[in-house]
Amino acid sequence: MKDDYLWDKTGEPDPQIQQLEEILGTLRYQPKPLEIPEDLPVSRRKNYFPWLAIAAALLIAILAGGIWLSTRSRNEAPERQAEVTPQAPAPVEEKSPLPAESKTPERKPDSRKEVIAVNRHRPKVATPVLSKHEREEALMAKEQVMVALRLTTEKLSLVHKKTQNTNPANQIRNQHRVG
Amino acid sequence: MYATADMLLTNAQAPAAEQTHETAIEVVLVKAVLEGDRDGFTRLYDLYAPLVHGILLARVPRAEVDDLVQDIFLHAYKKLHTLRDSSLFGPWIAMIARNRAVDFHRRKHETVEINDELRGSNTQDSRATEILELIRNLPEAYRETLVLRLVEGMTGPEIAARTGLTAPSVRVNLHRGMKLLREQLGFMEGL
Repeated sequence: MKDDYLWDKTGEPDPQIQQLEEILGTLRYQPKPLEIPEDLPVSRRKNYFPWLAIAAALLIAILAGGIWLSTRSRNEAPERQAEVTPQAPAPVEEKSPLPAESKTPERKPDSRKEVIAVNRHRPKVATPVLSKHEREEALMAKEQVMVALRLTTEKLSLVHKKTQNTNPANQIRNQHRVG
Repeated sequence: MYATADMLLTNAQAPAAEQTHETAIEVVLVKAVLEGDRDGFTRLYDLYAPLVHGILLARVPRAEVDDLVQDIFLHAYKKLHTLRDSSLFGPWIAMIARNRAVDFHRRKHETVEINDELRGSNTQDSRATEILELIRNLPEAYRETLVLRLVEGMTGPEIAARTGLTAPSVRVNLHRGMKLLREQLGFMEGL
């Protein structure tokens, strides 16, 4: 079959293809030696394994350190216990024929004894134990901060009042300047 | 009569064993070169220089082909470590050759094709140049396959194994390209 000759040079040869092969064969590759310069570096596959191993070891060390630190800090600062007191049962109102004066005063539920929800995620602040001298200093500092806050509040209210009392007529008068 | 596409597709699987053998040689040679064996690369050059020559001949002026073949193999030697799958050396270097041909035309070299007077009065050679010019004017898909078959004397299965194209597509390209070339050659005297 002629098509086989074109495909793999088997079968009945096609004279036209043979003629083309003969003519075009003059352009065929003529073997020439490849000249590789001596100074041309030999291509080598880069080995990344040592670097990967070092990176992996470092990562593991960092992870282990992180876990160790977190467990250590958890052990040092024990969790604050939530104070749980059973809620006082709501007083049962009894309908009594007695007048209002003789009624026992209605008992308000003690808000201080409510269940205190402790946020576990809140950062734990250890209550420092202060000496008497340190305690006095802390109180004085607190007083100073309070005075400073009061002064600031006063000044802010003064500024607020001044801004409230500005004459709107002036604004209208100066409107041409603003554009 | 030409074979239909279905016939072409069914008969293209035969030389699988030959392809596997060639691939094994490539793998061994590439490994040897990466371990520092320069002679291994010379063997690869001997195996694949006709392929690169044919790919370039289908695209760039004849006078430039030999220098470009050398350049491409030196480039491949430097970059061989970037080849991930050693069995794909053929398709890899074929791609380098195609890219280099594109670069050549992008740079717009001032080249002068040697005419018959300069080349001498060899009528066989001038006819070959004319036919090559006809092949270069065919669609790109057929050009390379026809040059590898008719100029470099490679068979269809060899072309498929070395370029990484599938055997059916090489077969189709060969037959369609040949059909177009025959039509073109109808206008030429002496063929």
